[in-house]
Amino acid sequence: METSLRLPLSELNEGMSLPEIKKSVIQENINLYAEASQDFNPIHIDEDFAKKTPLGGTIAHGMLILAYVSQMMTAAFGRSWLAGGKLNVRFRNPARPGDTITVSGKILKVEKGEGQTFINCDVLCRNQNGESVITGEANLRVKQ
Amino acid sequence: MAKQPKLEYHQIEVGYEFPPTSYKLDASMVSTYLKAVEETSRLYQDTELVPPMAIAAYAMAALSQGISLPPGTIHVNQELEFLNTVSVRDTITCQAKVSRKQNRGRLHLMTIDLDVFNQNQKKVLAGKVGFVLPEYDEDNGR
Repeated sequence: METSLRLPLSELNEGMSLPEIKKSVIQENINLYAEASQDFNPIHIDEDFAKKTPLGGTIAHGMLILAYVSQMMTAAFGRSWLAGGKLNVRFRNPARPGDTITVSGKILKVEKGEGQTFINCDVLCRNQNGESVITGEANLRVKQ
Repeated sequence: MAKQPKLEYHQIEVGYEFPPTSYKLDASMVSTYLKAVEETSRLYQDTELVPPMAIAAYAMAALSQGISLPPGTIHVNQELEFLNTVSVRDTITCQAKVSRKQNRGRLHLMTIDLDVFNQNQKKVLAGKVGFVLPEYDEDNGR
């Protein structure tokens, strides 16, 4: 069972990059996410509808792409992320079926307090063209 | 999931609290989420833990039962705080409250605060969701 930090606290440094992940955006997953979130907005799931909008096609739910950020944080910090994680992001550009999303992050600050450590990271999702899809920060409180 | 009448932006004032929505989680619900996001972490396979972003998705689902967002609505920002772990056996209750409405030119900004509690009334998630909505057309009701 993975319950501890994947990146040991003692090895965390400001400026350290988090392990990147890459994800392909596919319509099938968007449809599944619509089911999970009950968000059946046709811009996500109806290609005929979406083609007639200024977006020109379906787009992924922003929260689906944000889930990839949470996956990166879980991969880096394990269970600590599940009860102590915080995200604050902006959705910059839509992600479309066929896109490849690279999720990256960097530790900006590590602060040791009484019995816990606070970690502040910036996070970024960009598409295959280098365009930002999500920007923001992730904070984490790790009990020692 | 009880059906609620959906309200539109112009019917909602700051401070409005959506009727709370409860979900009894189960393996099938969580499995759909895990497939959607291609989550393969052993953290969720060897335990009954639910990914916190799945809880966020259910909170958004609860919200979608209470408000009708017009075509052209953009989800612009999101804050989420994961306060406690959630098990696949838990029952969660999602609460939402309108904390800000602002008109900026022809666009409307709206921020909704989200809180999710487990069956022991312990808060497991808190957040804020920000939407930009297109101009409301009173003549056409949209």
